Amino acid sequence: MDFKQEKAGIILAGLVIGVIAAVLVVLGNPLNMGFCIACFLRDTAGALGLHGAANVQYIRPEIIGLVLGSFLLASFRGEFGSKGGSAPVTRFVLGFFVMIGCLMFLGCPFRMILRLAGGDLNAVLGLVGFVCGILLGVFFLTRGYSLGRTYKLPALEGRVLPVVQVVLLVLLLAAPAFIHFTEAGGGPGAQHAAVLASLAAGLVVGALAQRTRLCMVGGIRDVVLFREWKLLAGFVAIFASALVCNLILTGVTPTAYFKLGLAGQAVAHTDGLWNALGMLLVGFGCVLLGGCPLRQLVLAGEGNTDSAITVIGLVAGAAFAHNFGLASSGEGPTANGRIAVLLGIAVVAVIACCNTFGKKRGE
Amino acid sequence: MVYIATFYSHFGAMRFKKDCERQGVEARLMPVPRDLSSSCGTCVRYGGEYPCPAGGWPEEMEQAVAVTEGGYRPLYRADRS
Repeated sequence: MDFKQEKAGIILAGLVIGVIAAVLVVLGNPLNMGFCIACFLRDTAGALGLHGAANVQYIRPEIIGLVLGSFLLASFRGEFGSKGGSAPVTRFVLGFFVMIGCLMFLGCPFRMILRLAGGDLNAVLGLVGFVCGILLGVFFLTRGYSLGRTYKLPALEGRVLPVVQVVLLVLLLAAPAFIHFTEAGGGPGAQHAAVLASLAAGLVVGALAQRTRLCMVGGIRDVVLFREWKLLAGFVAIFASALVCNLILTGVTPTAYFKLGLAGQAVAHTDGLWNALGMLLVGFGCVLLGGCPLRQLVLAGEGNTDSAITVIGLVAGAAFAHNFGLASSGEGPTANGRIAVLLGIAVVAVIACCNTFGKKRGE
Repeated sequence: MVYIATFYSHFGAMRFKKDCERQGVEARLMPVPRDLSSSCGTCVRYGGEYPCPAGGWPEEMEQAVAVTEGGYRPLYRADRS
C-alpha cells in the first residue's frame, strides 16, 4: 500500500465512521454521542455496579464491538500478538486521569469531534485544550520520554480482554438482576440504539480503526512532529461526514441534530476554562500513553496488554469520577472535579518528568 | 539501499537519526508505514551501504528492514519482540 492509497483509505474510513456515528444517534444514542469511548466505558462501569450514578448505567455494545472488531481483523491478517510489560502501573494511572479529564469535558476526543459536528461550540475550547495537552506531551517525547519497551507474552494474555468483551455481551443479553440498567427516561444510559445495531457499528469501526490506525492524538502528534497530515485527515473526514449527516437529518426530521451555539447543547456544559483544562489533561496523558482512548481499545484488541491495562485504568477513573462527584453534568463542573483535573495535570507532569529526565539515558 | 528502522520510543528514533547523520548517512524521521507494522510510532528511513551505520543495533530499536521492490526484507528484530 503506497502513501496515497493509505491516505485515501484513512479518509474513506473516516467518512464511513462519521456516517455510522450519526446513524447511531438516529437509532437511539444520545445527541452528539454516536460514539464516545469515555462515556461508554463509564456507562459499562455503572452497569457492573462500579459506580452508583443511576442515569449512566448500560453495557455499551459499541465498546464490545470495537475491541472484537480489532481482534478479529488483527487475527485474520496475522497481526494479533500478545505483548506488554511497558510500565503497566504507570499506564493504569495515566488512563485513570485521562478519564477524569474526559468526564470534566464530557467526552473523549472522538466525541469532541462529534460535538463539533453537531454545532456544539463548547468543543472548540476543548479542542484548544486538547492541542495544548498534546504539545506538552510532544515536548517530553522529544526530550527522551519513554515508558520502556514491550515484550512478547503468551498468546492467552492478549486474548483476555477480548474474552471479557464476550462475557459482557452475554451479560447484556441475559440481563441478570445484578447488572444495572438506567430506567427508560432516566438519563443518557437509557438512550441507546438496538443491541445488534450498536454491536455491528462497533465491529465495523473497530476493524476500520485497526486497519487505518485512526487516532486523534496520533494525528495531531504526527502533524507537530513530522508535518504529516495523514492520520489527522481521518478525523477531519469523520467531522465532515457527521456534519453533513447532522445537517441533512436536521432538515428532514423534527429533531435538531445540528444546533450551532454554546448553550443548551446535549450532554455538555458551557464552562470554557474547564472544558479546555479537561481536554488538556486528556491530550497530555494520551500522548504519554501513545494513543487516544479509541486507539487504546483497538490496540487492546490486537493483543497489547499495556493498552488493556490502560482501558482498565479508564474504567476505574470513570467509577471514581461518579462515586466522588468528579464528573461534570449539563450544569457544569463540580468543585471536586476541578481539584481532580488540576491534580491529574500535576500527576501526569510528574510521570512525564520522571520518565524523561529521571532515567539514565546512556549518553 | 534504503532501510527503515522502528523504535520503542520517539527519542530512540531521534538518537538513531543523529547517529546516522554523524556517520554521514542521510536519515529522516517519519511515522511507521502501515504495511510494515500496525503500531503507530516513529521510524527512521535511511540509506547507505550498511544497514547498521552506527556499529551495533541500538537497544531501543524494535526492527530494521531493507526496502525492496516487493516490500521489505527483515534484517533485525529485537529479542522477545
